Amino acid sequence: MNSMRRSLAAPSRTPRTAVVIGRLLAIAFLLCFGTGIYSHFIQDPLPWMHFPTRPIFLYQVTQGIHITAGILCFPLLFAKLYAVFPELFRTPAIRSFPHFLERASIALFVASSLVQITIGLLNTYQWYALFPFPFRQTHYALSYVIIGSLAIHIAVKLPVINRYWRKADAQKQVVVDAAELEATPPEHRATGVTGKIFAWIDDTPQPKVGNSRRAFFATVGVAAATLLVTTAGQSFKLFDVTNIFGPRKNGIGPGGLPVNRTAAAAKVLTSANDVDWRLEVKNGDVVKSFTRADLAAMTQYTVELPIACVEGWSQMATWRGPRLKDLADSVGAASGNSIRAQSLEQNSSYARMEMGPEFVRDDLTLVALELNGQPLDIDHGYPARMIAPARPGVLQTKWLSSLEVIA
Amino acid sequence: MTNTVLTPVGTSSADPIVATPAQRRWQIGLIALGLLLLAIGGLVLLLDVDPQKYFGLVTWFAGALILHDGIIAMVVFGASVVMRKFGRRIHVPFAVIAILQGAIVVGAIIGGIVVPEILKKNIGTANPTLLPLAYGPHLVAFYVGLAVVTSLSIAVYYAVVARRRKA
Repeated sequence: MNSMRRSLAAPSRTPRTAVVIGRLLAIAFLLCFGTGIYSHFIQDPLPWMHFPTRPIFLYQVTQGIHITAGILCFPLLFAKLYAVFPELFRTPAIRSFPHFLERASIALFVASSLVQITIGLLNTYQWYALFPFPFRQTHYALSYVIIGSLAIHIAVKLPVINRYWRKADAQKQVVVDAAELEATPPEHRATGVTGKIFAWIDDTPQPKVGNSRRAFFATVGVAAATLLVTTAGQSFKLFDVTNIFGPRKNGIGPGGLPVNRTAAAAKVLTSANDVDWRLEVKNGDVVKSFTRADLAAMTQYTVELPIACVEGWSQMATWRGPRLKDLADSVGAASGNSIRAQSLEQNSSYARMEMGPEFVRDDLTLVALELNGQPLDIDHGYPARMIAPARPGVLQTKWLSSLEVIA
Repeated sequence: MTNTVLTPVGTSSADPIVATPAQRRWQIGLIALGLLLLAIGGLVLLLDVDPQKYFGLVTWFAGALILHDGIIAMVVFGASVVMRKFGRRIHVPFAVIAILQGAIVVGAIIGGIVVPEILKKNIGTANPTLLPLAYGPHLVAFYVGLAVVTSLSIAVYYAVVARRRKA
């Protein structure tokens, strides 16, 4: 095993490399964690939580970062694992109970990281049939497991991280006198076929350390840059022109906007097209009913707001309709009231949505009737849908049927 | 003769790295934080995920370790040794091997991301705005582009070396 571990040592597999890649990976993990937690709590807020409504692209940017950093974790995680690969062959495999805990925590860290980024990617393809567990809850739970394991990993490796943090420290690493290797008693050296294989590998000349490390970082950099340029267009317009691998593309969809859940999937084709459709607005005993024509007769506002999906894609659009606060005021809502919106859609945990007063009172929050200058397409929520700044797409409730003012 | 060899990560036996007292305090704090987060993660799994799904999750964890540590890492290691060996035999410079290895790695990572996308598109999606692009042809075009850039990089390397030799 020691022979194998020694043979695995390559110039790019050094503590300094592990620290540099580890830093980048830790940043990517923490970005994913922070933006993921934000998305989780804006969907399931604790009672005391309030969320900023500006900048309007806040949710769009956080989830664009979440998905882009998540994709970049693939080259970074593989690079990190490559850099520390020889550690797999440590002998003795377990030296003590603390050492066993350390190795177990690393196994948990590696496995949960690999599973997390894989199911995250597959979620953007909506390929749920591949994993036999619920996506959202598992992804949320694993995020704590990963950041917890990361904290423990940093703790265990802290002296090594500290030593190789700065570039100048890289010079300190390398190096054990070859005498140590030569001192390996011949009887402990592998013989037979294994010995021949290791002799063959050991005979391979090492390239210069600097060249090898530069090549390693260049490869990781090119892989990461390629993924950024070819996929980030699903979230950031800057990269739209080079978006050839993103699971979503700006401009594709009814009204020039992608769709997550169609009217057919939500089983609203009949109810949403019903000529007797009304939007009911309630505040205790006060109930008002609005036809689509009634809503269109109210003061109309035009706003530019992104639709930003929890899956990370987003696109800016122009929406037109009455302000939500005007509808809430029509039934005497107080400034501190929230609202509960009900959709016509069936079999969805998002059919009912609650919105805090910071969004209800915002001038940009509309009950939209039009998208990009056209009446809403049925897949975008005809006859009326919610649109508010800095909110996830799943909370921009489509096919509205009622609004209820709540405390 | 003072031959030196590279040491694998964190194993400089000649000069062991020991935590200072200040680092020790940070370590304790980080481990406590880590255990707290692990507990929260475990609690969420217990409360929000149906226990019948645990087996599937464990299978995925084990599968990830076997696939990465047992297969991918071994193949990468084997391939890099063979390329280094083969390169020496036919006198290919390290830079050329590095460019080729880099191109293969970039191609493999992009393939790993895009091939599932192609498969899922072929199976079918919930609506036409999900996976709307021609990912198969795009991937082929990308590989052609990668091959061209790789060839050009190698050509530039040889041209630079030739010019240096003349100078």
